[in-house]
Amino acid sequence: MGKRPPVVVLSSSSDEDEGRGRRAASRGPSARRTRTPATAPPPAHATSGSRKKARRVGSSGRGRRRAAGPAPSGSLKAEFDMLSEDFSECLNDLGMAGSICQTEELWVEKYKPNLSSELAVHKKKVEDVKKWLEEKLKAPKGTFGGWTLVLTGQAGVGKSATIKALAPELGVEICEWTAPVPTLWTEHLHANSGLRYISKLEEFENFVEKIRKYSLLSPTSIGSQRKLTIVLIDDIPVTSGRVSFARLGKCLTGLIQSTQVPTVISLTQYHKTENNDTATWNSEDLESLLQSAGARKIAFNPVTTNSIKKILVRICKKEGSDLTEELLHQIATSSGGDIRHAIMSLQYYCLNPRRLNSALTTTTILPVLKSSGTLVPVQDDYGFSYVISTACGRDETLSLFHALGKFLHNKRDTYVNVAVDVDSFPLKEKLRRNPHKMEVPEKILSQAHGKVRTVADFLYENVLDFIDNDAIDDAWTVISYLSEADCLLAGSPISSARWMVNESYESESMTQLIAASVAARGVLFGNAHVSSSRWHTIRSPRVWQIEQSFRSRKDLILRERYDCSSTSGSRNFADIVTEFKPFERWISPCNDISRSNSVDHNVEASSSEEEEIEDW
Amino acid sequence: MLWVDKYRPKTLDKVTVHDQVAQNLKKLVAEQDCPHLLFYGPSGSGKKTLIMALIKQMFGAGAEKVKMENKTWKIDTGSRTIEIELAMLSSTHHVEMNPSDAGFQDRYVVQEVIKEMAKNRPIDAKGKRAFKVLVLNEVDKLSREAQHSLRRTMEKYSASCRLILCCNSSSKVTEAVRSRCLNVRVNAPSEDQIVQVLEFIGKKENLNLPFGFAARIAAQSNRNLRRAILFFETCKVQQYPFTSNQVAPPLDWEQYVAEIAADIMKEQSPKRLYAVRQKLYELLVNCIPPESILKKLLAELLKKLDSDLKHEICHWAAHYEHKMRLGSKAIFHIEAFVAKFMSIYKEFLVSTFG
Amino acid sequence: MLFYGPPGTGKTTTALAIAYQLYGPELYKSRVLELNASDERGINVVRTKIKDFAAVAVGTARKGGYPCPPYKIIILDEADSMTEDAQNALRRTMETYSKVTRFFFICNYISRIIEPLASRCAKFRFKPLSEEVMSNRILHICNEEGVSLDAQALATLSSISNGDLRRAITYLQSAARLFGSSISSTDLISVSGAIPEDVVKSLLASCKSGEFDVANKEVNNIIADGYPVSQLISQFLDVIVHADDIPDEQKARICKKLGEADKCLVDGADEYLQLLDVASETIRALFDMPQTLVF
Repeated sequence: MGKRPPVVVLSSSSDEDEGRGRRAASRGPSARRTRTPATAPPPAHATSGSRKKARRVGSSGRGRRRAAGPAPSGSLKAEFDMLSEDFSECLNDLGMAGSICQTEELWVEKYKPNLSSELAVHKKKVEDVKKWLEEKLKAPKGTFGGWTLVLTGQAGVGKSATIKALAPELGVEICEWTAPVPTLWTEHLHANSGLRYISKLEEFENFVEKIRKYSLLSPTSIGSQRKLTIVLIDDIPVTSGRVSFARLGKCLTGLIQSTQVPTVISLTQYHKTENNDTATWNSEDLESLLQSAGARKIAFNPVTTNSIKKILVRICKKEGSDLTEELLHQIATSSGGDIRHAIMSLQYYCLNPRRLNSALTTTTILPVLKSSGTLVPVQDDYGFSYVISTACGRDETLSLFHALGKFLHNKRDTYVNVAVDVDSFPLKEKLRRNPHKMEVPEKILSQAHGKVRTVADFLYENVLDFIDNDAIDDAWTVISYLSEADCLLAGSPISSARWMVNESYESESMTQLIAASVAARGVLFGNAHVSSSRWHTIRSPRVWQIEQSFRSRKDLILRERYDCSSTSGSRNFADIVTEFKPFERWISPCNDISRSNSVDHNVEASSSEEEEIEDW
Repeated sequence: MLWVDKYRPKTLDKVTVHDQVAQNLKKLVAEQDCPHLLFYGPSGSGKKTLIMALIKQMFGAGAEKVKMENKTWKIDTGSRTIEIELAMLSSTHHVEMNPSDAGFQDRYVVQEVIKEMAKNRPIDAKGKRAFKVLVLNEVDKLSREAQHSLRRTMEKYSASCRLILCCNSSSKVTEAVRSRCLNVRVNAPSEDQIVQVLEFIGKKENLNLPFGFAARIAAQSNRNLRRAILFFETCKVQQYPFTSNQVAPPLDWEQYVAEIAADIMKEQSPKRLYAVRQKLYELLVNCIPPESILKKLLAELLKKLDSDLKHEICHWAAHYEHKMRLGSKAIFHIEAFVAKFMSIYKEFLVSTFG
Repeated sequence: MLFYGPPGTGKTTTALAIAYQLYGPELYKSRVLELNASDERGINVVRTKIKDFAAVAVGTARKGGYPCPPYKIIILDEADSMTEDAQNALRRTMETYSKVTRFFFICNYISRIIEPLASRCAKFRFKPLSEEVMSNRILHICNEEGVSLDAQALATLSSISNGDLRRAITYLQSAARLFGSSISSTDLISVSGAIPEDVVKSLLASCKSGEFDVANKEVNNIIADGYPVSQLISQFLDVIVHADDIPDEQKARICKKLGEADKCLVDGADEYLQLLDVASETIRALFDMPQTLVF
């Protein structure tokens, strides 16, 4: 990965760019200066950068902000800046400008827990961390390894807050690594994010190097009277691509093995669905890597609704706002265990209580009208959390499962409604279905926020469980619909552009929608004989695992290919797999051992069958 | 060294199976001017052998000194830079590579890499053979765009570079490329020819072949010479001297597919379908190409069916194989085929046996 | 101007000839821009390269007896493979610079040229060349190159090239390279990748037997011999259409299947499976079996 030359920035001065440059100039320094490549941009640059960024993120849709936020963002501070921009922008849209003062602190910052007792995290976890830290601080210097703690969990469950709250109690100093702020904004616009990540990675490497040196020096130079320190690595640079991931891994492993200062790495877990592609950064890979390097791991669970509620109530009291109990409950549930998010939503709604109330009334009225008095609590719940999550939400994977459940269980009205369509449309008996006991599938899908690919994969993985064991016809119908959906998803067969999702994203979105509804409705329609309603766990699609291990396997074979065939030219991949490999196994039995070692670890469940194949 | 490599004919004169083709190629070389070539034919028919022999015929022994290198190409597409790592075999006179390994980036490979290579005219002191030969394998797996840019490259650099393309099915190569090449069809050797080759190898290895043994292997190999030789060597490793009724063990993945077929015939239910799915995953993880799985599965099922059903089944196999091309997840389509089969077969059973 | 028609009918040759006749060899380089499909031809090229070239005005300068009109020519070969965006961008360019620059579009399928662009052009359709024209040309080449060609081979050549003169010449040249100066019709067939008649016939015969297994075996053999299936399908179509003993309804059914199979092959489907599907459908059609099984 080479550095992109600065020429690109300078040369790419199209009209559009010029205009933006000027706008940036009106806010801060001159356009010329903004363009000059600077290694350490002055703060004015940074703010103008994040301002722009906030615009961009804000306009790309509120619902996505959460998902988009953590991945490319710089430090947390920058993220908050960006969000506060966003808030004020929202309010400007509503014509409420001025009701919030720019300088007002965000509540998340304001009510940051200062004592460990204030933490919303489960007591036991806090205790664990505390114990570990105490132990390490007392432990004698000079031992290698075991100095690292990895905290994992979803975004906003209070990983770093725990450390920050514990540190003053233990009387230690925190030496924190924060990601550098995004560099030039023009550069950011032109370069795809690749560039920034790399520079981040480099900076991270430098930091790690410093720590290692520091920790090696400290015992001799300062001795025992020095102040105790904890190193906190909050935001591991997001890497893209195998090469840089390997670099990061190496760097971290080195750190873990050599450091002699208690080091805490907090690692945000993204959902697997977001990055099932090997090319992107995989938090689980990193986690296992860290652990194998000898780090201790403490996993943080999402904060429970009750604790969130308690915190919210406390903040409400201090702020003197009078949100109803019910409302707080809704905010707490919809946050999905993300305390930071919950506080954000709270602040947002406190700014404009009327808005919330109106939202509340509209959504509650609707189901009332619909179900004529019999208000099902679940439905109400769902509708409401939907409102909140669209207003300032995060991706709700929970509701993805909810939607899947609806499709799979395929509840229909049980009474036979013959009178309606017999005269108008002589439908075949085979094709008639009772009306759904749910909303339009497309609506559920849009609520679920899931990617279509994900939905299709989940449906495929699980649908067979829900089909009656005699109804193989139905199974075929369902799967053929899914196969159609897959074709739609793959896009046109001729263009290879389908891989570059970004380029053709706009035109594809329609196909995506259609594919989703083909998949969902296909499942609903095809499954005419639902198996009796039992409890099924929803499995996550194995296709992902399979594809991953398939790729790694293929790489392996491709790499091996040239070793064995240097004399006779290369061979076709298909030939190797179908012909050479099996024969090689017979002809030279020693190959067997090396091969069975190479069986991918991802497929543990299938390893027994794997053995079977090997044996023949 | 495998027998397949050991007994590969090294020169055009020694080619036994396609001697006619070999003679024609020799004429081409003798005329000093060689057009672009496209070799096509089923796998295991000897395309590669012919190509290697041809190159040797052109450049002499120098072409045999090949070295393998993993070269990384940086390609600037305007918006960003892509890095492509591609392995290739090269000698002073020729370069051999599989552009389709680059996956969806094959277009860039063809456009840039080949262009660059074609531009670098080989320097030679004697002033003869001023062109380089570029062997491209699996051309049929290239995307349309890649094939289109290939065609331009062929015209533009034809002075300094000759392309030898190699593919299994020429239907998948665009007309434009085909029409710019001299097409050479390499048909699979007949069973008699395979028997001859096997007996030749047997003689060289001082083996004693019982009567009918070579013919049996030839029949098992499905007119695939490479497979036949591999079978032959396997038999040798497993049991020698050969017994009169010895057969080579079936390929493991084919055996596995046969087992799946048996499973399908036994029971038709979603539960069984799910079990089948797990087995299919197994095959896919081992990188067996999905279309091979489908074809083999079809062949296994056809063995056990009535003629009416056969028509139906092969129609659906063709249908889902096509869908598989269009889609991106092979497993969906293979399973849809299995489900369809189950559905048809069950209906058939019910109607026949009540 | 817009030239359209099947490949090998002389569209590009005509365009180039016109350009040469207008400017002569000297000015040709500066006055004519030739762009091919495989040159990078996205919207950016249209915006920059074409625009730059088109924008510069030139004067009339009679030189060496060529008319040299005061405009330049841009020849866009294979215009149907341009993206719609690029075509749209062109349309504006064309209007703006129509005084100084003329465009020649050359394409195979006029339907792929967007309507606004097509309507700005004078359209010329190029028909496939007649057999007579072709054989004259080929005989001419044969005389020049000293290749002997008998009457049967000549007929074969014009039939396998389907009115595509370039293809015919290519075949002739490759055959001459491979087989020397006297060329027979079988040589031509083997060079062109066309499939011998008897292979196609035997496939049909195996279908007529009504036995699936027989047909399957035949299909297997064809695949093993490496014949290109897309070619086979088009030849099979000829045989079916000209067969006297098949009723029209059955023919229609088979042809429909052939069409489907061809589309699938273009999409990259497996040759064996498609051919097998065609064979089985043919059997079913010939024996009037129902399209789908009913129990």
